[in-house]
Amino acid sequence: MRSRTSNIGLLSAALAALALSVACSSNPKPPTEQLAATTASERAATEVGATEVPQAALHLQLAKEQTEHAQLLIKKGENTRAQSMLERAQADAELALAMARAEQERAAAQGALDKVHELQKSN
Amino acid sequence: MKKAVIGTLFCVLGGIAGCAHNPPQELIEARQTYQSVSNGPAAVVAPAELHKASESLVAAERAYQDDPDAQRTRDLAYIAQRKALIAQAIANREMESRRKAENERYYESKQGEMIQRVKGDLNQTKARLAQSEQGRREEAFRHSTALNQERQARADAEQKAAEADKRSKEMLEALDKMAQVKEEERGTVITLSGSVLFVTNEATLLPNAQVRLNQVAEALLSTPDRDVLVEGHTDSRGTESYNLDLSRRRAEAVRAYLVSRGYAAEHIRAEGIGKARPIAPNSSADGRANNRRVEIIIQPKAKSEPR
Repeated sequence: MRSRTSNIGLLSAALAALALSVACSSNPKPPTEQLAATTASERAATEVGATEVPQAALHLQLAKEQTEHAQLLIKKGENTRAQSMLERAQADAELALAMARAEQERAAAQGALDKVHELQKSN
Repeated sequence: MKKAVIGTLFCVLGGIAGCAHNPPQELIEARQTYQSVSNGPAAVVAPAELHKASESLVAAERAYQDDPDAQRTRDLAYIAQRKALIAQAIANREMESRRKAENERYYESKQGEMIQRVKGDLNQTKARLAQSEQGRREEAFRHSTALNQERQARADAEQKAAEADKRSKEMLEALDKMAQVKEEERGTVITLSGSVLFVTNEATLLPNAQVRLNQVAEALLSTPDRDVLVEGHTDSRGTESYNLDLSRRRAEAVRAYLVSRGYAAEHIRAEGIGKARPIAPNSSADGRANNRRVEIIIQPKAKSEPR
């Protein structure tokens, strides 16, 4: 009797495991494409100097943290949640990129203005 | 129960406004951010990006209506807020780009003005330099012209001097042939025999004398600026006063004849010397014949008396 009970216990455990695995497989596939797109955006932001522009650096940091979080979620199989998290991360990375470019342009415009002032001074 | 009814009522009323529950913080921020950005320059300079932000916000609002409490709603709102900020950043970039272009245009136009001004200054300087160079050249030209004129004048003078020398020489050679010519301290002395020129005891020139004197006059006229002295001399016979008078008249006759031939009167003087300066002994007839004479003295230029 005892062994039967344990058998039933084993069976239920196996069923539970099966149910879990079915539940897992019913989740969408891991968001590898989104992960690639997000990390590409982060790289692009880094390349245009986002780490050197405080506001842009902040958003790039947010993007990276969210990407790390998404990778943890992927490991846990929470792919839907991970997809959403990666979308957030990409939005932050893109914002970092746009901010860095705006800053670059601001510096260039300032440089042009400085040249004008220099010209006026030398005259 | 009552609370649920109020909640449902709120939901129905709020459905029009798109909210049933208190919206998540993310959605509130997304709305505010979009509102603020769409009122800025993004509407004009980054309309495409603003449109994307708008679509993103609509998706978040729709998710909120479908499931106000869902994490996905919050995520979509978060993303919508970022999209609005991206539109803002891209608009900023465009504004800076325009500012830069404007500054560069201004710089170039200023630089162009400066270059024009510098060019103008340079041209003025060049013109001034050219003027002074022209002046210098003209001065040099004038100088060289003056030099040339001086050189020419000197050459002319030298040529004239050479010609004058040549004429003098020719004259002396001519005189040599017809009369005795001697170079003395007092000048070139042409001695003409009295018997050739005059009738005895007279001061009238013989026709033959005129031919001789014509040659002398011709020679003299080749050097018209010399002072000429005509001296009459006699032998020792006769009285002192008679001889002086005769010799003076004879000298005068020769002088008058030379003047009549064209020699300047103010350059020629006549003097009677009498028997005072014999050139031969008066004891013999030959000697006395030699002493009766007229001397025409062409005085050296240096010793010529100023007029």
